[in-house]
Amino acid sequence: MTEPTPIETHSAHWGFDDHRYFGHAVFEELLGRESLTGLTALSILGRRLPPDACALLDDAAVSLTLADPRIWPLKLTRLLSSYGSSVAAIAGGLLIQEHARIGPWASQEAAELLEAFHAELGPSAHPTRVEAIVRNHLTKHHFMWGFGTPFRERDERLVAFSARMRQRERDQLPYWTLFEAIAKPVVDQRKAQPNIGMGFAAACLDLGLRPQEVGPLTTFLMQHMFFAQGVEGARQASEGLRRLPDESVIFVGSTSRRSCLHSQP
Amino acid sequence: MNTDETSSPASLDGPLERAAFPEQLRARVVTPGFRPEVHGYDVEDDLARHYGFVDLVILSLTGELVEMEVRQAVEVALMFLAPVSVAHASVHGAVVSRLCGATTSATIGVSAIGLAEQARFELTAAEPLLSWLKRAEGPVPDAFRARSPDERATVARLLAALPTRASKHPIFSLDPAPQAACLAVLHAAGLERSDQLEAALVLARLPTTIAEGLAERPVNFAKYPIHLPPFHYRDPR
Repeated sequence: MTEPTPIETHSAHWGFDDHRYFGHAVFEELLGRESLTGLTALSILGRRLPPDACALLDDAAVSLTLADPRIWPLKLTRLLSSYGSSVAAIAGGLLIQEHARIGPWASQEAAELLEAFHAELGPSAHPTRVEAIVRNHLTKHHFMWGFGTPFRERDERLVAFSARMRQRERDQLPYWTLFEAIAKPVVDQRKAQPNIGMGFAAACLDLGLRPQEVGPLTTFLMQHMFFAQGVEGARQASEGLRRLPDESVIFVGSTSRRSCLHSQP
Repeated sequence: MNTDETSSPASLDGPLERAAFPEQLRARVVTPGFRPEVHGYDVEDDLARHYGFVDLVILSLTGELVEMEVRQAVEVALMFLAPVSVAHASVHGAVVSRLCGATTSATIGVSAIGLAEQARFELTAAEPLLSWLKRAEGPVPDAFRARSPDERATVARLLAALPTRASKHPIFSLDPAPQAACLAVLHAAGLERSDQLEAALVLARLPTTIAEGLAERPVNFAKYPIHLPPFHYRDPR
C-alpha cells in the first residue's frame, strides 16, 4: 500500500489537557485573554492581532452591517431558510461569496488593486500620476473594484467607517491615503463613488494584512448578517417565501413546441 | 412620538423603497403552474412519453433536444464519468458528513458542493483541452493524452460503447486520456461551455456520491481511519 503524503498543519492539535491553536495553548494562553474577533484573526491570519487592531475589525463589522433580507446574498439565505433549517441556509449564503462580484470578496479584489497601485506609484503618489494610473486601469477594465454605490449617492457604511478611522488616527496611513487619492479621479472619470469594500481593503493593508487574507476576513466580519437571516427565516419557515404565486413569475424562455417524437404513440 | 420599541415599516425609508424594480420573477427554463414545459417542450405529454433523463439533462443545459445517436453518446460518456470513489475528497466529504450524523439533506448538499468543486477544479485544469476542442485540429495537449495501458484500455471500452458517429471524433486518433475523451464526446453533443460541462459532471456523479455518503453509518467514528492521510501539526511559533 502506498503511504499517503502527510499533510502539514499549523492550525491545531488535540491534546489531553490543553490544545494547540496556531502555536498557542488554547486554555493556558488564549482563554480569558483573546476575544472572538482576535480568535478569528488568528484563525485566518495565523497570527494574533493587537487589541487596537481587533477593535478596528469590530468597527468594520458594525460598519458593514447592512442586513436587509431583500439584499441578494441575504435573500438567498432567507429563501433557503424557508424550509426550516438555519445552518443550511447560512451555508448557502456563505457559499456564493468567494470571488462573487458583490459581497466580501470585493474587499479582497480592492486590496489586490490597492497593492498593485501602491507598487506602481511608490510611497509618494503625485496626483497627476494617480490620475494617469486610474485612467489606464479604467480604459483597460471599464470597472474598478471597491467603487459603486447602487441605489444611493454614497455608501453610508464607508462614511461611518471613515469617521472611526479618523478617530483612530488611521486616516494618514499609506493605503488609506492611497485609497483617498485614487477616489478623486475615479469619481471624476466614472462618477462612481467608493464603497466600504475599498475603505476596508485599505484599512486591512495598513494593518499589514496580505490581500488574499482580506476576503476570508471580510466574510467572517459579515457572517452575522447571514445568521440573522438564517435564524429568523428558519423560525418563520415562511410559506409565502417557500412558494411564490405562479402569477408572480413571468416565463421568458422558449415558446411552446413539439418534439419530433410527439405524435408517436 | 412613537412609543413602541420598534419602528413600524411605514416609517422607514431607504434606497430599496425609492428605486424601481420589476414585480415579477423571470423564468427561463421551466414554465410555472400546471402543464409544465422545459424549454418549450411539454413535460407530461411529450418529454415523459418519449425521452429519458439524459435527454432532460441535455435539453436543460443546451435548450435543445438532440437526435438519438447523440443522446446515446452523452449517456455513455456520463456513465464513464460517473463513478468517483471515496478516495476522492468530494465523496470522502459526503461520507464524513454522514459519519457526523448529518441529516440526509445535509449529506446530499455536501455531495453537491464537493462534486461542484471537483468539477470546477477539473475543468479549470482542462482549459487547454476545451480550447483545443473548439477546432479539434493538431495534436491534443500532452496533459490530456493517455498515460498508461489501463487508461488506453478504458478508452477502448468507451469506443466500444459509443455509437458510430461519436467514435469518429478526431480525439480518438490522438491517444486521449479517458476523461479527455469523455469531455470531447459531451462537447460534440453541444455541451461546449465549461459551465455546461461542470453541471454535467456533477449530475453524472451525484447518484453514486450520495449513495456512498448514505451508506456510511452515523457516528461510526471508531471504524473511520482518522489518520488517512496523516496530519502533522507544526507549531508556527
